[in-house]
Order: sequence, then structure tokens, then C-alpha cells
Amino acid sequence: MTNHWIDIRNADCILIIGSNAAENHPISFKWVTAAMERPDNPAKLIHVDPRFSRTSSKADIFVRMRSGTDIAFMGGMINYLLKDMRLHPGNYNIEYVQQYTNVAYIVNSGIKLPGEDPAPGFFSGWADNKYAPATWKYADMASATAEAKLLTPNWEGWTNRGADDEAAWAELHDRCVLKLLWKQYRRYDEEKVSRITGVPVDNLREVYAEYAKTGARGKAGTIMYAMGATQHTYGTQNIRAYSIVQLLLANMGLAGGGINALRGTSNVQGSTDMGLLSHILPGYIKVPNDGDTDATLAGYLGRITPAPTLPPSELAADNPVNWWQHTPKYVASMLKAWWPGADPVVSYGYLPKGKASGVNYTHLGLIEAMGNGKIDGLWVWGQNPASGGPNSNGAREALGKLKWLVVSDVWMNETAEFWKRPGVDRGDIDTEVFVLPAAASFEKQGSVSNSGRWVQWRYRAVLPPGEAAPDLDIMSRLMKKIQELYEEEGGAYPDPILKLDWPYGDEVDPDLVAREINGYALETITVGARTYQAGELIDWFGDLQSNGKTSSGNWLFCNQYTTASAKDKADYPELITVVQKNAGTAAIESINKARKRNNMDTSLNEVGLYPNWSWCWPRNRRIIYNRASVDLNGAPWDADHPVLRWTGTGWDPAGDVIDGGGDPINVAADTKKNLPFIMNSEGVGKLWGYGLKDGPIPEAYEAWESPISNVMSPQQTDPAAFIGSFMNARGDAAQYPYVGTTYRCTEHWQTGIMTRNLPWLSEIVPEMYVELGEDLAGELRIRAGDRVRVSSARGSIECVAAVTRRFQGIRVDGQTIHHIGVLWHWGYSGRVRGDSGNILTPGIGDANTTIPEYKTFLCNVEKLTGKEAADV
Amino acid sequence: MMQQKRPFPYGTLILSIVALVSVPVMIIRYLYGLGAMSNLSDGRAWGLWISFDLYCGVALAAGGFTLAALVHIFNAEKYHPVVRPAILTAFLGYIIVILALLVDLGQPWYIWHIMINWNIHSPLFEVGWCVMLYTGVLALEMSPALFERLHWRIPLRFIGMIQIPLIIAGIVISTGHQNSLGSMLLLLPYTLDPLWYTPILPALFFVSAVAVGPAMVILESTLSGMAFGHAVKLDVLSGLGRIIPFFLGIYLIMKLADLAAAGQLDMIVNSYPQNVYWLAEVIVGVVLPMVLFSIPKIRNNRAGLFGTALLVIGGLIFNRFNVSLLWQEIRPGYTYFPHWMEFAVSAGVIAWAIIVFMLAIRLLPISEHRGEAEAPAGRVPEAAAS
Amino acid sequence: MSKGVLYDGNRCIGCRSCQVACKSWNRNPAEDTTNKGGYDNPPRLSATTFTTVRFREVDHNGKFHWAFAKTQCMHCLHPACEGACPVGALKRDKDTGAVVYDDGRCFGCRYCMVACPFGIPTFEWDDPLPWIRKCTFCSGRLDGGLEPACVTACPTGALQLGEREDLITEARARISASPDKYVDHVYGEKEAGGTSWLYILPVPFEEMGFPALGEEAPTENPHIAMRTLPYYAGGVVVLMAGFYWLTKRKQKLSHTGDKHGKKEGVAK
Ligand SMILES: Nc1nc2c(c(=O)[nH]1)N[C@H]1C(S)=C(S)[C@@H](COP(=O)(O)OP(=O)(O)OC[C@H]3O[C@@H](n4cnc5c(=O)[nH]c(N)nc54)[C@H](O)[C@@H]3O)O[C@H]1N2
Ligand SMILES: Nc1nc2c(c(=O)[nH]1)N[C@H]1C(S)=C(S)[C@@H](COP(=O)(O)OP(=O)(O)OC[C@H]3O[C@@H](n4cnc5c(=O)[nH]c(N)nc54)[C@H](O)[C@@H]3O)O[C@H]1N2
Ligand code: SF4
Ligand code: SF4
Ligand code: SF4
Ligand code: SF4
Ligand code: SF4
Ligand SMILES: [Mo]
Repeated sequence: MTNHWIDIRNADCILIIGSNAAENHPISFKWVTAAMERPDNPAKLIHVDPRFSRTSSKADIFVRMRSGTDIAFMGGMINYLLKDMRLHPGNYNIEYVQQYTNVAYIVNSGIKLPGEDPAPGFFSGWADNKYAPATWKYADMASATAEAKLLTPNWEGWTNRGADDEAAWAELHDRCVLKLLWKQYRRYDEEKVSRITGVPVDNLREVYAEYAKTGARGKAGTIMYAMGATQHTYGTQNIRAYSIVQLLLANMGLAGGGINALRGTSNVQGSTDMGLLSHILPGYIKVPNDGDTDATLAGYLGRITPAPTLPPSELAADNPVNWWQHTPKYVASMLKAWWPGADPVVSYGYLPKGKASGVNYTHLGLIEAMGNGKIDGLWVWGQNPASGGPNSNGAREALGKLKWLVVSDVWMNETAEFWKRPGVDRGDIDTEVFVLPAAASFEKQGSVSNSGRWVQWRYRAVLPPGEAAPDLDIMSRLMKKIQELYEEEGGAYPDPILKLDWPYGDEVDPDLVAREINGYALETITVGARTYQAGELIDWFGDLQSNGKTSSGNWLFCNQYTTASAKDKADYPELITVVQKNAGTAAIESINKARKRNNMDTSLNEVGLYPNWSWCWPRNRRIIYNRASVDLNGAPWDADHPVLRWTGTGWDPAGDVIDGGGDPINVAADTKKNLPFIMNSEGVGKLWGYGLKDGPIPEAYEAWESPISNVMSPQQTDPAAFIGSFMNARGDAAQYPYVGTTYRCTEHWQTGIMTRNLPWLSEIVPEMYVELGEDLAGELRIRAGDRVRVSSARGSIECVAAVTRRFQGIRVDGQTIHHIGVLWHWGYSGRVRGDSGNILTPGIGDANTTIPEYKTFLCNVEKLTGKEAADV
Repeated sequence: MMQQKRPFPYGTLILSIVALVSVPVMIIRYLYGLGAMSNLSDGRAWGLWISFDLYCGVALAAGGFTLAALVHIFNAEKYHPVVRPAILTAFLGYIIVILALLVDLGQPWYIWHIMINWNIHSPLFEVGWCVMLYTGVLALEMSPALFERLHWRIPLRFIGMIQIPLIIAGIVISTGHQNSLGSMLLLLPYTLDPLWYTPILPALFFVSAVAVGPAMVILESTLSGMAFGHAVKLDVLSGLGRIIPFFLGIYLIMKLADLAAAGQLDMIVNSYPQNVYWLAEVIVGVVLPMVLFSIPKIRNNRAGLFGTALLVIGGLIFNRFNVSLLWQEIRPGYTYFPHWMEFAVSAGVIAWAIIVFMLAIRLLPISEHRGEAEAPAGRVPEAAAS
Repeated sequence: MSKGVLYDGNRCIGCRSCQVACKSWNRNPAEDTTNKGGYDNPPRLSATTFTTVRFREVDHNGKFHWAFAKTQCMHCLHPACEGACPVGALKRDKDTGAVVYDDGRCFGCRYCMVACPFGIPTFEWDDPLPWIRKCTFCSGRLDGGLEPACVTACPTGALQLGEREDLITEARARISASPDKYVDHVYGEKEAGGTSWLYILPVPFEEMGFPALGEEAPTENPHIAMRTLPYYAGGVVVLMAGFYWLTKRKQKLSHTGDKHGKKEGVAK
């Protein structure tokens, strides 16, 4: 989330697309409800989804869309906006778009869009099964050039604006971003979008017009999304489409705006922050590879530290900020946190490196490698790949190719018991399985980061049962054992292991870890006006050093655990901890801000920042890119919901922590006129990008398994998508005529092992079910409660049919397409059992993230009769 | 009427079987709960037992107070021969009620709670107390038969002294809870069908009980006459038959006037299908017997009397079932038809009652007690003094 | 003034946290259920389920609704169950409005179940020592200054505890703020003489299985009947005694003048 949960209440319009927030993020609806019940101007709720869910039940406008067609839908919206903004710029915050986005930037002359020949369906740069993004960049990467006509107030310089489309647009530079957007999305006219998505044109127009209202100054709209958006081969591009819309509508950085990913599992935000994904280190720092560039720390830092792109001279601001320029400080401090005794130049060598040749280390890649016998052992820690990943038959088979498997978990899940699954002979499986019982969340202490990036400390409520231990303790004992063994037996490369600073015992104090993550001054240093004693916690990441004198396990969290201020001591005496890093260093009163629980809203106009409730990264900034919430003079675009406010002499201290620091653009001195989007090297919001693997802007393709041909181009699927090969058959519409989509229900959790073991939840939703529309059920003579078989090219499951009017056939390109909804909360372990929807899903992944395409695939449904039904 | 040879006692055999079957059924109930042996549910918390054993049982025991009043208060002496059997039947009727309650109540062992925890607003509180008290009164009213048999003079004399207050108390108590059985339904304005629900339900219950009382006496006298061969004089029974239409008439007028007053007479025609039940109840159980009992030929004929009394009784049973079961809304999603074990319990307790009745008739001076029975109550002390 | 809870069908997201919280607080075990192809589960209230959420697909005002409604004891202002219970095991607490059950008094007659116009009280059918079970309004929590468990668990504020009068005002305000989103009716304000738990919904109440009830308290008629009972009893005693005296006198008279009496007898 760029914003945070409470902030949803500030929105004027809430667009939930690709999420079933009411069911999967129930608390969000506290704030959605608050927005919708605002007495003066109640917010409108729009829900876009293939099926009518509990979220839809609360929506003012529900849009039933064919699964997998978000880009077409959003492309249509961009098309609508471009048209409307040209004709009625007064209804939009054009100034924001001009000054804070790359709308006017000129793109490289080599650019070719998918609507153009040759190679329709592709952007320029496609070769050897991947894109080279050079032609997607700006014409001048060091100092951008712009279409000046677009930078005049209200686009007055665009004199032909009132003319018809062709004439009007002809006036603009062919490769300015706005024109490229127009060229791309004019193809997404309402009729065509309707043909693809199955949404009637009226319905489309209604939604586009409604959401476009948030473009006005003083209005904000938020987009809430989750897996309905991401779990596609072009999932990342779906989110890009949302970003484009939010930037055009000037909704980024504002209270009630933003792009809000409703994160998934508890603390999944924290886990990605901490580098749990295969391509990043803590703090979203790119993983080094074994290529030549990364051979040295300097080479690596050179590769991953972006160079700034200066804004065009016509822009009011002149400083892109380019926050990632600080990457070397963060990397050095991280290396110092891990190997304090080593020079970062040396300890960089201790980091594991990925293959420059592009081996895929994501979940799908690992399962493929396991299936192909390339992996001997697997440690599964708080995950259930036998049920949670796609194509479960393949995944379960792959587990059987391991020599050993360790499962650290709170329950005996399908993975730990994969060798007992129905239909296999235990004797055929040689994998040796170890199970380490872990303590559950309320049986241990530590921090959990929510979607709004709030790091909240949790305390232990009960002791873990039996031999179960907190994951941290299990990990610590494991590490100590490994160090012990290395010490005794040596090893191929012992330094990274033996030199690792591991000050933890068998029972780890999570506070100690939190401090390591925050980081210390390793010796006495002075940064600006601030002098740190050796062993003192660092105040914030701006003070981190690239010279090895500071440590920080994760720069983003540098500020969570600091020396307590006088105010902290007065306000939170119970939270003050005396920290003494080493025997020789000073004992300093410090505070773990994640423990704060002050529910006073001291923010401007009580806009809901609650700055003293827990702590959030970065630097307790509750809304990121908040500089975009004010105009060039520092006055909030939306005076009712100010995030920041320039008082004339300084920023109002009740405001949020400003992104990037500095004065308002019109006030600041030259070269200090900071742009708002500080994490982009150009400092402006990217309507046009060049960092993704499948195109600079979204283009609509069909899912890997789709009942129709791509209407937009001859290229059927996202060309850069990850396609699994292990036991991963592809079905066609002749055999599998219905679109299947998998999703969650409120009452169960993920693979279900955590909820199917709870009697009260199993009681409510006791059995695996598939939801289908009354129309399709009528055709198939299936009644509610009947037993049915659902099958895909990968496998088949048997379950109960739930017949409902919430699913309906969708008219797409002249044919009726039925969707069925498959849950995936069941498996063969636990108290209540059943088949998993993931037996059906394909082992296919997003081009950028490899997140599997769980949301769109082909399947078939049959009614089970007689004995078959009874056997289920 | 009957020959004095002794045929195989099929009746007794069946009775004994029915009585015996109920024993294990009750054991199941106490071991495994009501759910194990009844089709009662949260949707239908009261079923056959309450409708039949309580609602019908109490109403059919109305013979007791009707005749007690007739004979002892109004001194209609000619009914004297039937008064004791009537009281005995009433007594047994209440025993049936109590036995059935012991099965039906969730915690019968706490039945005494009603004595210490009072909710005087509850019609069932009243019914409970009345059943308790009236059973006691009936026992006392019955006790002379026992004392006579045992020739216990002193208690007999004591009972004789308090007989009239006892009888009046009995009348008050029993009619009181005949009323209250109706009042119990007053709590159901929203779930009892409007064709039956009316604030005057208590009065309707009372009047219909008064009407059915004599009919019950006709029935019992005829049956016991058949069984034991000592028939009650015809004119006694036809006299009873003559009273009935009077009460049925009042009942009918009340029912119609009440619907008319509520402006709901049209429901008799419109509220299908319950109107069919209502009409059946009223025509067969009220109008038809009124007509038949008014015809002297039928009234002076044992079969005619018996049959017509059956109609009255049947009509009342049907009425009590309509109000206490059939036209009370069942909760959505539920159905109810009594489990065979429910029938077994109801049949069982009746069988036990009949067995006791037969034994009592055999062993106690109930119907063959010229001397005492014919003596007006006031003369008992005299007899005792002699 | 007494407490109440307002349920707002437009705020409810059907998450059933309330259902689970209720089980948890009351330590009610799970039932063995099956999936019947719908959402309602357990299908009905029972001795171990004091509250459930109903799900209905409803067309109303040209819009398709998936509407929800939580059910539990309404905690009537004039509870039929209280009026029914012969031993006073169910009583309305005047301060909180909770209709609470005291198993120390109950003997299991189930009249409360029959009487309740909302079909709420349930019974432990499979227990040889069965009690009545129903929502308690978490009266123990109320007494301790807490909200009912279900209210606390509700993520959206669909359940709101307050003074009943205030809640009615609040409910009216919400309806008039969005007249197109609600049916114009506060269920429970008047129903069956008024209930402590109140409802506002986006679809007609009948569609959600709420019984259509009048305003009369079900306890009204029986209370009148019970109040007249002593007069009735007194009247009957006097009447019977009077009759007895009359007939006795007549009898004496006829005994003294035998001829007279015989004639009368013959005349009969
Ligand atoms: N109760 C509960 N809550 C949960 C979880 C749980 O298991 N149970 N899991 C947590 C986790 S880890 C996550 S990631 C989140 C996920 O949260 P959500 O993303 O909300 O979860 P899903 O139910 O998988 O999918 C959301 C919706 O996407 C819709 N959908 C399918 N295809 C498309 C499409 O092509 N476009 C669009 N726009 N929508 C589509 C589905 O119909 C579904 O309603 O939930 C979290 N919260
Ligand atoms: N078809 C389909 N499949 C999907 C999705 C979908 O939408 N559709 N969504 C995907 C998404 S978004 C996600 S996030 C994944 C989730 O997939 P998984 O993470 O595999 O699923 P979970 O059931 O959450 O498994 C978590 C495991 O962690 C254990 N656990 C819980 N707490 C602790 C703890 O404190 N310590 C330890 N050691 N273990 C613990 C649980 O018992 C459980 O076994 O599923 C993906 N799979
Ligand atoms: S599941 Fe947990 S995190 Fe999600 S809304 Fe409920 S309480 Fe909050
Ligand atoms: S709803 Fe029923 S159980 Fe609850 S108080 Fe009212 S009458 Fe009693
Ligand atoms: S079952 Fe218990 S609580 Fe209900 S009316 Fe009877 S005695 Fe009262
Ligand atoms: S008030 Fe208490 S008992 Fe009643 S439904 Fe809510 S949680 Fe359950
Ligand atoms: S907890 Fe609240 S939102 Fe959830 S189902 Fe219950 S009343 Fe509705
Ligand atoms: Mo997730």
C-alpha cells in the first residue's frame, strides 16, 4: 500500500478491482464503510470482478468482467480519460499531471507499440524470447526532453485541443508519453473493451465516468487490489494500468488515494521487506549475480544504483531526488550488520549470487527444478507447497523426488504428509521427512508489518505447546549448529558462516533482532549535526554510511528502534529500554517504536495518520509520495484532507513526514526543488515505464488457457510469461469449456490447514465446493448440494456444487462464457478434508514476478451420479 | 349386557403390551435425551404429548368437575351413579398428564421448582399449580372409595366434612386451568393461526371443556358398562346428552361472535386450508352434535348417545390439536410428525391408566356401591356416625 | 433506558466473525455440518449455536442483492419467553435489556420455545439432562462494561451497542441519509412490543426471513387473562357456594314437603 488502511476512509471513490476485500480483508471494510457513510459527500464503491461476492454486495456499481481482462478494462478507462481530459481539462488536476508525472517526456525514437507493424502485439525490442528495453527509455536518459505544449497551464499550448481526435493529437510530438498512451489506448474503444471483457458498454461508461470524477482537484480515489489482479501472466501489467490511471487522475500521494495492494498472509509485507523473495535482499535491494559486473562490490553497486534523469527544463522542479542513489550506504550497512568484522568489500563476496544466465528461483522455478530432479533437499518453513502452489499433482510428485524434506510448521500439513496422500503407495516414496513443530503467532513475540507498512509489535499470549518453539529460536539453534559443524568439520567456503555475527542464543530476544535490523553506529561518528556514540542506534537511514561505520540489517527499518527522545521518555516511559550493544559501549535509553499504541490522531485535520500508533517504514511516513499531495507552493490539493501543509515558513509539524525533505518547489532554492516520486530516478510518476519484462505500458493478452482468441492482436498470450513444463498440460476450450477461477472465502485460510483444523470454522464451511451460476447449473442439471467433478488438463477434483445467481454467463465476443469458482482451502490433511482447487491450476507465471496464473484457466464440470457421488 | 363366561382377554393383553412397550421407551428417553426417541425439535418444541396428553387429557378429564358440580352443587341426584367413575377418570386423566409430563419435561426431577419459583404471569404456572392441586383434590375426592373399602371411618368422616369445600375447590381449580390452557396460547398471537387466536381463548376453552365433560361421562359409562356389565341407567345418560347442546351452543356463538367482532368472519371462507380444519372441527364437533343431541330418538338410545358423544369428544380433540400443534407455525426449515416412540409413550400412559382404572373398578366401590354412592354427600357423616 | 444492538445490513459483510466470537465466548462446541450448496451454516440456531448469519440472493428495486442478516435472540422488551416461563427462569434485566436464563430454575417445559415469536430458544435434545439455550446478550460482559462478544468481533460496525433509544435515532438517521439504500423500517422498534436488538436492511425484511409481526406485545393478552384469574376464582367460589346453598335449601324444602318434591320430580 502506498497509503494505509485507515486512509481508505478519506477516499471519494473506491475502486476495488481484483480483490474481494470484504471477504479477505474484512477490516478494510471498516474504512470502506466509513467512507461510504461520510455524511457530507459519501464515497462511491465500485467493484470489478468476474463474480458477485460479499464485496460486490456492498458496491454502488458492480462490474461483472471476464476473468483475465483487466488490462482491456483499464485500457478502456485510460482511453476514456485521455479523451475527457483533452476536452475538459478543467475537470482534472492537469497541473499535477504535468509537474509530477512524465506525461510530456519524449521517448526513444526506436519505440514501436503493439498496435503498429511489424510484429503486431509486440513492443519494440522483442528478440530471443525476451525484450531488450533500450527503445522504451527516454530520448535522453540524463536530462529528459518534453513536449512543451503539454506543460502550459491547462494545456493551453495544445491549441488544436477542441478539434477531432486525429487533428488534435497530430499536433503533439509523436513520442511524447501522452501521445504514446493515446496511440496505445485509442485501440481500446468501448465496443472492443466490451467485446473482450463482456461488460456492457453502458456499464463501462458509467464506471469510467464515475471514477474519472476523482481526477478533480480536491478529490481522491483509491484502487484496492490483491490477487485478482496479480495472479495472471500479465499481473504486474494489471497494476501498471492502475498506476497510469491513478497518475492521470492525480490520486497518488493524496489522502484517500494511492495504489493499495491488500497484502496477503499476515506479515507478508514484512517478509518481502526483509528480502524473502528470491530476487531481493532486505530493503528491496537487488540480489547480486555471478556475472562479471557483480564480481566486485563496486561493480555491483554501479549496476544497481540508478543514475538520475533530470526533469525537462520546462518543469518547475529541478531535482529528481533519486533516493536509490543511497544504495551503497544501505548495502554497506547491511553487510556490516551481518559480518561486522569484515570490510564490506570482502564481505560482499560472502553473499550468495544468483545465476546471471537467468535461472528462475521463484516458487514455480523451484518446483520445476525439483520435478526435474535437480534438488536434493527442501526446507519448507511456514508454507504448504503441496497445496498452495499451482498444479498440485505436479508439486506433490516433485516432492517425491527429494532426498529429504524438512517442514517447520504449526500443523501437520499436506506437505509434511505428502507421502500419505490418497492414490500413492508410500513404498514408492523415498523422501525422508522431518517435521519441526513451530510456535504459532500468538505463542511468540515479534513484529508484524501490515499492508500499510505499519510495523506492530505483538506480544506472546500463551506458551507454545509441547516441543514447539518460535521460528526465531528454531532458526537460531539451526544456525548455531551449522556454525558448530563448520567449526568442527570445515567446509567448502566457511567464512560466510563462521564470520557471521550471531549473538543469539537458543531462545532469541526479538528486540535484539529488531535493533540489528535498525542498525547501530559501529564507532563514534558525526553525521551533520548529529554525533553518535559507538553502539548507539542510528536515527534514520539518512545517517547510514557507506564506509562501514554503521550497520543496518534493513535500511527501510532504520528508524524503528532508536535513541529515545525527551518526548518519547515523557510520553512512553514504559517503552524505554536501556540498550548497551557491547560490554564496552554506552548504555543508552532507546525505544522500539513498533510498540507504540497511542490512538490519538494528531495529524492535520485528523486525516487519520495516527503517527504514534506503532511505527511504519519509511521513517514513519504514513503516506508515501506524499509530496504529490501538495501543489508547487506546498498547499494541499485537497484542503479538507491535507497530508502536508506549508505554513509559509515551514512544513506544519502535524503533517506527515515529508517524502524526500526540502521546501516546496516554488520556495526551494535551485537544484533543491524536489520532485515527489523520489524512488524513481526521474522523480516523477511513470505513466510510461521501462523496467518491466513485458512492455513499457500494459497491452492486453489472453490468459494461457482462454476460451477466445486475443481480440487486440494476433499475439495470444503475454510473450514473456513463465511457462512451466513439469507435468503441466494445457487444455483447450473444446474439452474444457468453462473459465475457472480460484479464490478464497472468509472462513478459511489459504491451503486451509490453519482453519480446517479449527472446529468453529470447519463447522461454517465444512466441505470443498465449486460455485457456478444458475444458468450453467441448469444446462448441466446440477442442483445446489449435488456432488460434481471439476476437471482441467492437469487433474480433477470432486466436491459439492454451490449454485448461485452470483455467477452468470458472460457475453464475450458473441459467445456466452461461463465462469466457475473453485476454492483451494482443502487438502488431505487436517480435521476436515477435501480436494484442492490447485489440482486444476496451471504451472504458469507472470512475466515479471512468476506469480502463478491462479485466476484464469479452463475447466469442465460434470455432475456425479449414484455410487460416484456417494463415494465422495 | 355381557355374558359372565370368560373369553380370552385380548383387550387386557393388548393393553399390557402397550403399557410394557412404553417402559423401555422411557428408559431411552432418560438415558439419551428426548432427541433420541421423539421427532421434537427446536422447530417444534411441543408435539404429540402436549397436544394429546396435556391439552386433550385435561379437557377430557372435564367430566370430573362437570359431574361433581352437577351432583354435589346442583344436587342433580340422578347423576350420582356416574360421579365416582367420572372423578376416577378425571383423576387418572391427570395421572396421564403428569406421567406424560415426566417424559416430556426436560428436567422432570425439578418439577417441584414450580412450587418455589413463581412466575404468576405465566399461564403455565397456573396450569402447573392447578394440575398439582387438582390432582390432589381428585385424590381426596376419590379417597372415600378407598376408605370405604378399607372401612376406615375416621378419614372417611373427615373427608365427608370437607367434601363440599373440596368439591368447590376442585371446580375452581379445574375450570381455572381449563381456562389457562387457553391462556397459554394467548402468548402466541403471532404464531397461532388467526382463525383460532383470540383473546377469549380461555373462555372458549372453558366452555368447550364444560361441554365435553358430560360427553366424556357418556363415553366412559357406556364403555365401562360394556366391560363390566353394569350399565348406567339410560335416562341418566340422555339427561347428560340434553345438557351438552346448551354448552355447545354457547361455544359456537362465542366463536362466531368473536370472529365477527374482529371482522374476521371472512377467514372461514378465505383462509384456505386452515378453514377446512376449522369447519371440520366446528361442524362435526359442535353443530352436528347439537343437532343430534336435540333429537330425542338419538338421545334416548345408547348407541346414539355414544356416537354423538364421540363426535363432541372428537371435535374437541381436533380443536385442541389445531390450536396446540397443527396451526401453530413451525419454525422455518423444520417438519414434524411424531416418532413411533412418541405414540408409544402416549399410548403407554393411557394403557397404564386404563389398567389402573380397571383394577380400581374391580377393587374399589366405584360403580357398584349402592349404599354409599347413592347417599347424597351430606349423608356420609350420618352413616359414619351410626 | 436499556441497551440494545443495532444491526445494519448495509454495513454487514457477512463475514461471520460474530458467529465464531459467539461460539468462542459461550464455549459452544462446533456442530457436525455438511455443505448443502449454500452459505448458511449451521443451518439454524441450536443449543450450541446462538447466532447465525443468513445469506439470501434477493432482487429489490431493480438491483440484485446478496443480503445478510444475523439472527439471535431479539431480547424483547416484553419477552414472550419470560411471560411463558412458569418458573421465572427467563427474565428481562431492566438495566441492560438482556433476557437472561437461569438454569437453576428451569425444568425444561419448553413453553418459552413455543411462545417466542422469533423462534429463538433452543433445547439440548440429545442430552438426558437438557437445558434451554439461547443468546444471552453476553449479559456477563455487559455487566463487566464490555460489549457482547459478537459486537466486539464485528469488523465493520454492523453491530453497534448503545442505548436503545439512541440506536433508533441513529437507525432513522442512517435511513434518511441514504433512503435508496435502506427499506424504510427499523425492525424491532415496534415488532412484538419492541425488541432490544434492532435491524435496518437494504432489502425487505420478509425476504430475509424476519417474521412480519404486529406491534402488540405477546404478553399483553395473557397478562390480562392471568390478572382476571383471581377474580374468576373468587367468583366461581361464591357462585358455587351460592348454588350449593340454594339447592340445599330447595332440597330441604322438598324433603319437608315431600309431596311437593315428588310432584316436581314427576313433572320432570
Ligand atoms: N479469509 C481469508 N482472507 C485472506 C486469505 C485467505 O486465505 N482467507 N488469504 C490472504 C492472502 S495470502 C491474500 S494474497 C489475499 C488475497 O486477497 P484477494 O485477492 O481478495 O483474494 P482472492 O479471493 O484470491 O481473489 C480476489 C478476487 O479476484 C477475482 N478475480 C478472478 N479473476 C479476476 C480477474 O481477472 N480480474 C479481477 N479484477 N478479479 C478477478 C475473484 O473472483 C476474487 O473475487 O487475501 C488474504 N486474506
Ligand atoms: N489456486 C490458488 N492458489 C493460491 C492462491 C490463489 O489465489 N489461488 N493464492 C496464493 C497466495 S496469494 C499465497 S500467499 C499462497 C499461500 O500458500 P501457503 O503459504 O503455502 O499456504 P498456507 O496455508 O498459508 O500455509 C502456511 C503454512 O504455515 C504454517 N504456519 C502458520 N503459522 C506459522 C508460524 O508461525 N510458523 C511456522 N513455521 N509455520 C506457520 C501453516 O500451518 C501452514 O502450513 O497460496 C497461493 N496459492
Ligand atoms: S483475518 Fe486477521 S488480519 Fe485479517 S481482518 Fe481478520 S483479524 Fe484482521
Ligand atoms: S426473541 Fe424470543 S427468546 Fe428472545 S427475548 Fe424475545 S421472546 Fe424471548
Ligand atoms: S423450558 Fe425452562 S426456561 Fe423455558 S419456559 Fe420452561 S422452565 Fe422456563
Ligand atoms: S450477544 Fe453474546 S450470546 Fe448473543 S449472539 Fe452475541 S455473542 Fe452470542
Ligand atoms: S461480524 Fe459483523 S460484518 Fe461480520 S457477519 Fe457479523 S454482523 Fe456482519
Ligand atoms: Mo498471498
